Amino acid sequence: MTDQPATLAQPAYLRFEPSQEVVPETATQLSVRHLDFFYGRAQALHDVNLEIKANAVTAIIGPSGCGKSTLLRSINRIYELYPDQRAEGEILVDGRNVLDKRYALSDLRRKVGMVFQKPTPFASSIRNNVGFALSYYEKLSKSEIADRVEDALRQAALWDEVKDKLGQSALGLSGGQQQRLCIARTIAVRPEILLLDEATSALDPISTAKIEELIHELRERFTIMIVTHNMQQAARVSQRTAFFHLGELIEFGKTRDIFTNPRVQRTQDYITGRFG
Amino acid sequence: MSPSRLLQRKIADAAALVFAGAATLFGLVWLFWILWTTLQQGIGALNPALFTEMTPPPGSHGGLLNAFYGSAMMIGLALLIGAPIGLAAGTYLAEHGRYSRLGSVVSFLNDILLSAPSIVIGLFVYEMVVVTMGHFSGYAGALALAMILLPVIVRTSDEALRLVPDQMREAAFALGIPRWKVTSQILYKAALSAIVTGILLGVARIAGETAPLLFTALSNQFWTSSLNEPLANLPVVIFQYAMSPYDEWHELAWAGAFMLTIFVLGLNIAVRLIVRRRKRP
Repeated sequence: MTDQPATLAQPAYLRFEPSQEVVPETATQLSVRHLDFFYGRAQALHDVNLEIKANAVTAIIGPSGCGKSTLLRSINRIYELYPDQRAEGEILVDGRNVLDKRYALSDLRRKVGMVFQKPTPFASSIRNNVGFALSYYEKLSKSEIADRVEDALRQAALWDEVKDKLGQSALGLSGGQQQRLCIARTIAVRPEILLLDEATSALDPISTAKIEELIHELRERFTIMIVTHNMQQAARVSQRTAFFHLGELIEFGKTRDIFTNPRVQRTQDYITGRFG
Repeated sequence: MSPSRLLQRKIADAAALVFAGAATLFGLVWLFWILWTTLQQGIGALNPALFTEMTPPPGSHGGLLNAFYGSAMMIGLALLIGAPIGLAAGTYLAEHGRYSRLGSVVSFLNDILLSAPSIVIGLFVYEMVVVTMGHFSGYAGALALAMILLPVIVRTSDEALRLVPDQMREAAFALGIPRWKVTSQILYKAALSAIVTGILLGVARIAGETAPLLFTALSNQFWTSSLNEPLANLPVVIFQYAMSPYDEWHELAWAGAFMLTIFVLGLNIAVRLIVRRRKRP
């Protein structure tokens, strides 16, 4: 292949420019206050304060090991699977501190869905993958479940590809389809907040583009936080961006400002590729 | 690199290959020798009476029906006892006790049980059950086999569940589903073929156990369907008949050894098929 100038014939999904849309001022959905996080004795987050707006996409960027994923993992308390990890501080969702042990995990995780880096379909049919958590939370008839499964698959832009094989194993889907299935599975229980932890980094560019489009649509109904290594992606899909470095929140603001006019030198250095 | 140095390396390479090949061959020779002898002697002794008649008195012809039945009953009962407990304990180790002190203690104790000589387990069950009941019985035999099977299943199901990637666990828990449901509906399904593989290998392990049965089930020349009496079984019958001076008994011992080998071989092949199917998506 010849070296052609990067600006020529570049597909839309590779373009690197923050959207020029006006970012609407929506209500605050989630507030992180004085959050510290520890892996054993090592502190991974230092006094993080952040306000996440409803019905918008907030991107979390920063070099590896900066605490981006840790922040997401604190919000749905998935870190509690590992006894040596703990979070201190407050994360308020609808005014209640979810880090409080009295906040029931099933209530929290129903409200806050999470999609991970690697697609993780369960060894079961496509239908069961999406309906699995549904039947735990709600008493639904078979036809109601079928409707909700269809609804979730439509929202995840997967319905047309799988509608004729809902009974087949989810393991037979392609990586991109599996990841959209994981998104469908997560939104089937109707959460308010979606956490996407590098949800496209294991996928090819076409699948990535599909999921980015999807994120754009899902924004209407969900509050989305996305952790990404890919700055173009952050610029393309988010309205606000938070830049983390060494466990600290360095800069947080509208995506356009962060990418075109950062206030902190470290942000600028990272965005222009000087480290990371 | 100089030509002489290259030659030196080639010679060393060839020597290593020859040595490794010879060592492999040395191991395989014995295996095939055993298989060949069993096959040769066993096939000649095979006949329909094997599956229809009881073990005969010295000097007459007969079959092994009571031994097949006894072995099947005792292995089945051992499986019924060992598999659920083993799976539950393996689940505890992999899912609940993974980071706890109790978990590592249980895991260590299980390793000890795993390597306990089977004759010791036989003696233990003899003391506990046979002496208490006042007679040998199929129940005691099944219990001894279950105690050998149990740690195998604990270990293999523990490992099968640990092989399920943490991402799968996290994805399931992130849906807010309680642990027992994640384990029973997602992790067991993901680990199913590995768990079944472990159980089959455990059955293969106990199928040929002789020492613990000598102390517990003993054997029985006659037919009984009751597990509450001394029960004939393949390994002990093979042992007794092979040690005897009678040609008819020798033949039956070879036939029994052949059937046992085929059974264990079949289990191992089944395991390979399951594992191969698992590797494909």
